[in-house]
Amino acid sequence: MKVRVDGSVCQGHTLCAMAAADVFELNEEDGHAWVPSDDVPPGREEVVREAARSCPEQAIVLS
Amino acid sequence: MTTEDIRATDAERKQPEIELNRHGLEYRDGFEAWAKRLHVEAPIAWNATHGGYWFVSGNQQVFDLARRADLLSNENDGRGTKHGYFGINIPHEPNPEIRRGRHAGFLEMDPPEQRHYRNALNAYLSPAAVARWQPVMDEITRASLDEVIETGRIDFVDHLANVVPAVLTMAMLGLPLTDWVVYCEPAHAAVYTPADSPDWPRVQQQGLLMGQRLFESIQEARSKPRPGMLDALLNANIVGEKPDDEAVVGAMVLLIGGGFDTTTSLTANALNWLSEHPDQRECLVRDWETLRDSATEEFLRFYTPAQGNGRTISQDAEVHGTQFREGDRLWVSWAMANRDETVFEDPHTIHLDRKGNRHSSFGLGIHRCIGSNVARATFKTMLKAVLDRMPDFACDPGGAVRYESTHVINGMQHLPATFTPGKRLGPGLEETIEKLQRACDEQRLAEPVTVRKQGAKLAD
Repeated sequence: MKVRVDGSVCQGHTLCAMAAADVFELNEEDGHAWVPSDDVPPGREEVVREAARSCPEQAIVLS
Repeated sequence: MTTEDIRATDAERKQPEIELNRHGLEYRDGFEAWAKRLHVEAPIAWNATHGGYWFVSGNQQVFDLARRADLLSNENDGRGTKHGYFGINIPHEPNPEIRRGRHAGFLEMDPPEQRHYRNALNAYLSPAAVARWQPVMDEITRASLDEVIETGRIDFVDHLANVVPAVLTMAMLGLPLTDWVVYCEPAHAAVYTPADSPDWPRVQQQGLLMGQRLFESIQEARSKPRPGMLDALLNANIVGEKPDDEAVVGAMVLLIGGGFDTTTSLTANALNWLSEHPDQRECLVRDWETLRDSATEEFLRFYTPAQGNGRTISQDAEVHGTQFREGDRLWVSWAMANRDETVFEDPHTIHLDRKGNRHSSFGLGIHRCIGSNVARATFKTMLKAVLDRMPDFACDPGGAVRYESTHVINGMQHLPATFTPGKRLGPGLEETIEKLQRACDEQRLAEPVTVRKQGAKLAD
């Protein structure tokens, strides 16, 4: 499973990092999310789906 | 096209029509019934009150409209130099001079100005920036509770939820911490006092005093700079220029208004609910680490401190079958979007472990609450301290006072409670604020995270 954050849509709500802190990092300066790696670690698929569902802006793209 | 034709067209497009006075008790006390009805019958409705405006309550409709910065404007053009729009309040203040005096800073602006203000402030309010303040939040909270811990009685609003966000906001702005009392009462009273209340002149007077103090602080900060968001505003690059005093005051009032009343409301509502649901409170105490975040988001969703925001349509468009015309006024109901059963299962019940909680309590799109990270951290700090130190607290339903009108903020004016008295852990509020002021000054705590990475260090 691949994950990315659409930076033009993310507004820094931070819910993704609450759901999966090991997958989503928050920019130190504005709190917008990014993923250091677009490969979802094995066993973390469900929390990443949960993060994508939680995103108020629907900025998380799974593939 | 004659005037009559336009009226006929308007009558056709301004459907379905409802009459919902958001300022009245019908909205406050009948909220759930209205939300259910509107979600089924009219997720976008023409609300024929307060001059007429679109009332958007459906989750998908709110989602699709609120993020359309190309279609919606937040502009409050009190100076009469832009499009003549009326800002985020519905109804708006008709007198442009007064409206100019109450300008809500960058929340009543559009890009690029709005973005430039936020760019200047983000590094003070990001999660990493806010985490540095945790020891300060803990200490203000501890001192607030110590003031009453031996008595067994507290008003959660007056003694806790009003104090902590206010003192912290002072610190982050770079204002003297003792000034929290200058801003606290007016920031709350201006929200909950109806304009026809006999108390309104006093509230207005307090607001004027607050404005004067702000202007003084701006002059002080210009001659003797100190770190904090005020300094960032004074030096911000807004489309190539530094903002003038009036613009800085607008932004400061927004940060103060946003920082005070919302978190206070969330905390009071959550504590009141936990008092009414002792079994749920036990769960929260027992599983704090797993439930802390989901419970916080659920209280945010359910109580939606800032109920909605006004906008102005900036260009003709059709969305979800509704014909919008430039100049139409529109209200985005975050509160009702948060109760839409197409997105939230069992939406009118609090589930502390709710998953996938994509609430819009901090707004959506480019105007997302810039203080959301402060709000969450302060709320969690206060809640945890109460659960730890007053585990058997019981709110007095007879003494709880909800805001008479929840048209802006769904808040509580008073929330008295009793609990088994405990021991003080340290000095009271006054002494603590002095100590925190020294820490702010010596460690320059209010620097942006780009300048200062490490958290506050407080001596025991």
